[in-house]
Amino acid sequence: MLNARIRKTFPPDSESADSDGGFVLDVEFAAPPGVTILFGASGSGKTQTLLSVAGLTRPDEGLIAVQGETLFDSSRNFSLPVSRRRVGYVFQSLALFPHMTAQANVEFAAHGLPRRERRERATALLERFGVGHTAARRPREISGGEAQRVALARTLASEPRLLLLDEPLSALDEPVKLSIMSDLREMNRRLRLPILYVTHSRDEALALGERALVFERGRIVAEGEPHEVFGSPASPGVARLAGVENIFEGVVVSRDESAGTMLVGLKNDEGVASCGVEVPLGRAGVGSRVTIAVRSGDVLLAAAEPKGLSARNVLRGRVSAVERRSSETLVRVGCGGVTWAASVTRQSLEELSIEVGREVWLAFKTHSCRVFDGD
Amino acid sequence: MTPAVELFPLWLSLRVAAVSTLFVVVAGVALAWLLARVRFRGREALDALVTLPLVLPPTVLGYYLLVLLGRASPVGRLYESLIGSPLVFTWRGAVVAASAGALPLMVKTARAAIGGVDSQYEDAARTLGRSEWQVFARVTLPLASRGILAAAVLAFARSLGDFGATLMVAGNIPGKTQTASIAIYDATQAGRDTEALTLVAILSLTAFALLYATNKLAGANVK
Repeated sequence: MLNARIRKTFPPDSESADSDGGFVLDVEFAAPPGVTILFGASGSGKTQTLLSVAGLTRPDEGLIAVQGETLFDSSRNFSLPVSRRRVGYVFQSLALFPHMTAQANVEFAAHGLPRRERRERATALLERFGVGHTAARRPREISGGEAQRVALARTLASEPRLLLLDEPLSALDEPVKLSIMSDLREMNRRLRLPILYVTHSRDEALALGERALVFERGRIVAEGEPHEVFGSPASPGVARLAGVENIFEGVVVSRDESAGTMLVGLKNDEGVASCGVEVPLGRAGVGSRVTIAVRSGDVLLAAAEPKGLSARNVLRGRVSAVERRSSETLVRVGCGGVTWAASVTRQSLEELSIEVGREVWLAFKTHSCRVFDGD
Repeated sequence: MTPAVELFPLWLSLRVAAVSTLFVVVAGVALAWLLARVRFRGREALDALVTLPLVLPPTVLGYYLLVLLGRASPVGRLYESLIGSPLVFTWRGAVVAASAGALPLMVKTARAAIGGVDSQYEDAARTLGRSEWQVFARVTLPLASRGILAAAVLAFARSLGDFGATLMVAGNIPGKTQTASIAIYDATQAGRDTEALTLVAILSLTAFALLYATNKLAGANVK
């Protein structure tokens, strides 16, 4: 178990600060054995959190402990040196030593053992990750996927009690990504170490994460199981990262307290409220700006005007584009200057004979809409 | 046939340069690492102090060394009581003079080489449990090795050609402290033009070859 409370202020001119001034990292979390996803946009504080846990940056204030052993405690002015934390860190750049072979990279981490055992352990780890054939090669002579596996093997060779993975798959293509993900799942099953896994890919978070912490501007704004966190995003930013396609700004036109709903006029490109959407009642008063988010999967598409539906939002529009993706098809529909996205299966696309320029109806439930105050 | 030049000055210059390079590499790499990787108060002041011999007149540098290491100075007395002979006006004095002149070049070049090593490699080595010394010896040093080698060649070339400071500290004693560059001065003054020209040609060619090698090394480091 990792327990961390980290507070650090970055001055406005530091690298990790926002352009509009200083940046404050202020987080507190616990990570039990298993994969904990650190999810959020770049610059939200995920990597700074990893650096703090590893000891490569010093928080202004806080307490970090692994399995009851304190790594950092500002109240006692205590900070365990990086080399004694036994925190495995796989950098985004991997940082494989360019002047050493893959084998030597892994052996470097297995120090404190007799030479023979060191060599055996390195060989066994490279084999386990399926990169035994790269042992004699330098990092620049192996592929990105192989380098990623060598880096994982090297980190495990140092027998860490905690693993930090910083966007380990972001530079890889899809097939390699999937195969390394299955290696990571296998590794997680066997080791049961706390693993902090930084990503801004929703797919990786859902595929690997047992828990997710959502970072926004240096804070944790949501935590829970990944599908819960993405199912009800905590902010427009998280919604965007979580892959919610329909995110629009609007103004509250009216509130109906008894029905628990309110009407929001969406702004089109000219900034004029042109189409009304009924959403769950929020705190925003009439005239306030709000942002609404609707998943494309929650939007139904109809070839004729639907009648007798329970869904309260029915919009008429015209198909502006059809985008075929691997598992679904996204249909873009323009209604009054706002472009919506609805996802449909290939079969329904054919049955409804949907094509660009065709008139269609969109329908979605009031409670499929998430409302955020402000924008 | 007698040789056109006395060979002793050339031999002495090579010996002085070799020993001086040895000192300069060890001290220079340590200083360069300190300046490139450790934040401390007075870092830039130390850098300026180390660089000073590069811009001071060689006679000023020689004067300082003479005052610091002379037979009446504490350092000079300590040296004499330990070694049994004085430091100034010996070939060892020439080594000190050449080292002081070459150190700035070594430190400047090595600082750039060490500063050019991506510190993420060093951080990775630390997270893998390695001590600071091991991080330096097994990661920083090998990754900066080409730049450091180039710096060493440069330091050697600089030591080989030292004149002013050497003359001040070691004097001009033929067969004892007369290095090649001082022999050139001596030969010119005495009108032994052939001897001067031969030594000039040999030193120029050596310096050119060393600089060429340095550029090759530095260039390969970039790639």
